[in-house]
Amino acid sequence: MSLRNLLENWGDYRKGREQGGHHKYEHMWGMAIDLNLCIGCNACSVACYAENNLAVVGKEKFEKGHALHWMRVERYWDEPNLGEARVSEYQVHGASFVPTNCQNCNAATCEPVCPVAATYHTPDGLNAQVYNRCIGSRYCSNNCPYRLRYFNFWSYYESSWPAPLHMQLNPDLTVRDKGVMEKCTFCVQRIRAAKDKAKMENRVVAEGGVVNVGDQPFKVAPGRAKVQDMEFQTACQQTCPTSAISFGDMLNPDSQVSKLWRSHQVELGKTSQKKPNPELRGYRLLEELNTDPRVMFLERVREV
Amino acid sequence: MSVNHQCSYDSGRRGNARRGLGSLGIVLGVTAFAALLLSFTVVAEVPGAIPPQGAHDGKDVAQPIEFPHNIHADVNKINCMYCHTYARRSKVAGIPPTSKCMGCHSVIATDKPRIKKLTEYWENREPPPWNKVHDVPDYVHFTHEKHLKRFVFDNDALPTENVSEVCAFCHGEVKTMTVAHKTKPLNMGFCKRCHEANHGPFDCWQCHK
Repeated sequence: MSLRNLLENWGDYRKGREQGGHHKYEHMWGMAIDLNLCIGCNACSVACYAENNLAVVGKEKFEKGHALHWMRVERYWDEPNLGEARVSEYQVHGASFVPTNCQNCNAATCEPVCPVAATYHTPDGLNAQVYNRCIGSRYCSNNCPYRLRYFNFWSYYESSWPAPLHMQLNPDLTVRDKGVMEKCTFCVQRIRAAKDKAKMENRVVAEGGVVNVGDQPFKVAPGRAKVQDMEFQTACQQTCPTSAISFGDMLNPDSQVSKLWRSHQVELGKTSQKKPNPELRGYRLLEELNTDPRVMFLERVREV
Repeated sequence: MSVNHQCSYDSGRRGNARRGLGSLGIVLGVTAFAALLLSFTVVAEVPGAIPPQGAHDGKDVAQPIEFPHNIHADVNKINCMYCHTYARRSKVAGIPPTSKCMGCHSVIATDKPRIKKLTEYWENREPPPWNKVHDVPDYVHFTHEKHLKRFVFDNDALPTENVSEVCAFCHGEVKTMTVAHKTKPLNMGFCKRCHEANHGPFDCWQCHK
């Protein structure tokens, strides 16, 4: 955000979300994860490690909470007394899984607390983390209600990728060093590649305007890249053996992800999803905090 | 657009380096400054573009063969993209494979010492270990193809034969050099000033990865 941009668009900055917000969106990437399909195999997590140059920190540091799993599969046992006697730490029945990556909140709590503006909202609606700008204050992590931001307490380059393993590193993104916060980027390198490809092929939406997602208007920028739905996939989506993860542009009403949000009556900008039809699934994590996440989980919310 | 000025932090850095070198340093410095002035005067106009501003005097990078860019690009008027083929279709401009060199040099100038050395590499089936001159940090995403599209292929006023004028925005007048020498700072301020002048994207994540 340059000063020129700020001065020219001052009126827009003053306006609230109900008038389309201060952003001119190019895309609004969103996700839907079907928990009925998730088998908790952790393949998404492994794919994320491979795609995003995540360091393997080792058991000792993992126990201290230094792990860098951008996509982690959380486990819950909803009926603790079900099944056999506990032979091990983990019981056999009644597990449910929630793959959690950065929720890319529309009203992200991590963004306003960054002292150096290393995390901010991009025109793609992504919650960006600029590594070379980050000074490691960790305010963002402390302010994230989901605990989905990970801090590099150590430099892992030599321990995690001893030669020749460094050859497997993805050149499309940085290897983060000590003192830098990192988190799921919705595979921004793949988004970038798809957008570059669209622009090179002159696939551009010339006109701007306003696009409604649910009942929420979003201003869109003219000249944005026209990326087809499913033109690219995120690493976790690509790897999921049961296709539980859907990813796409929520400003495109025909994208798979928009259809899922609509058909399950999950809406942006709400603090709870009131569904007329009790058969419908779909909720967002801790949405009562008004973070407005763009990752939606398909599962009936039930009392235990 | 003919305004070219050095940014203050650049000249400051060069000044400090010179102070430690003594009289030889001063002589070298003066010649470097003269070379810089000369490079300012030969900047060509590119229609529909405002060239980025800023200058820099990089270290000399030794190459296995002293490749004469001037003979190829200036005397023989070979298009930059003839050898750096990938520039128009990928992120990196690329170094041509030795087979491309040998395409001409199995016939042309075979008696010159540099070509003999090249032929030696070719016959040993190993590429000359070229050293990188223009490099940006790991956290920068830069694509040649999109810049060429904006300034050359989408720019009807600029014939593709004159692509070297666009290359010179960031690579300096390579036409006048033998091996490439970094004459532009290629830092964030340099990129940003050009993006501001030419209305390029201004979002952190467009360029930082």
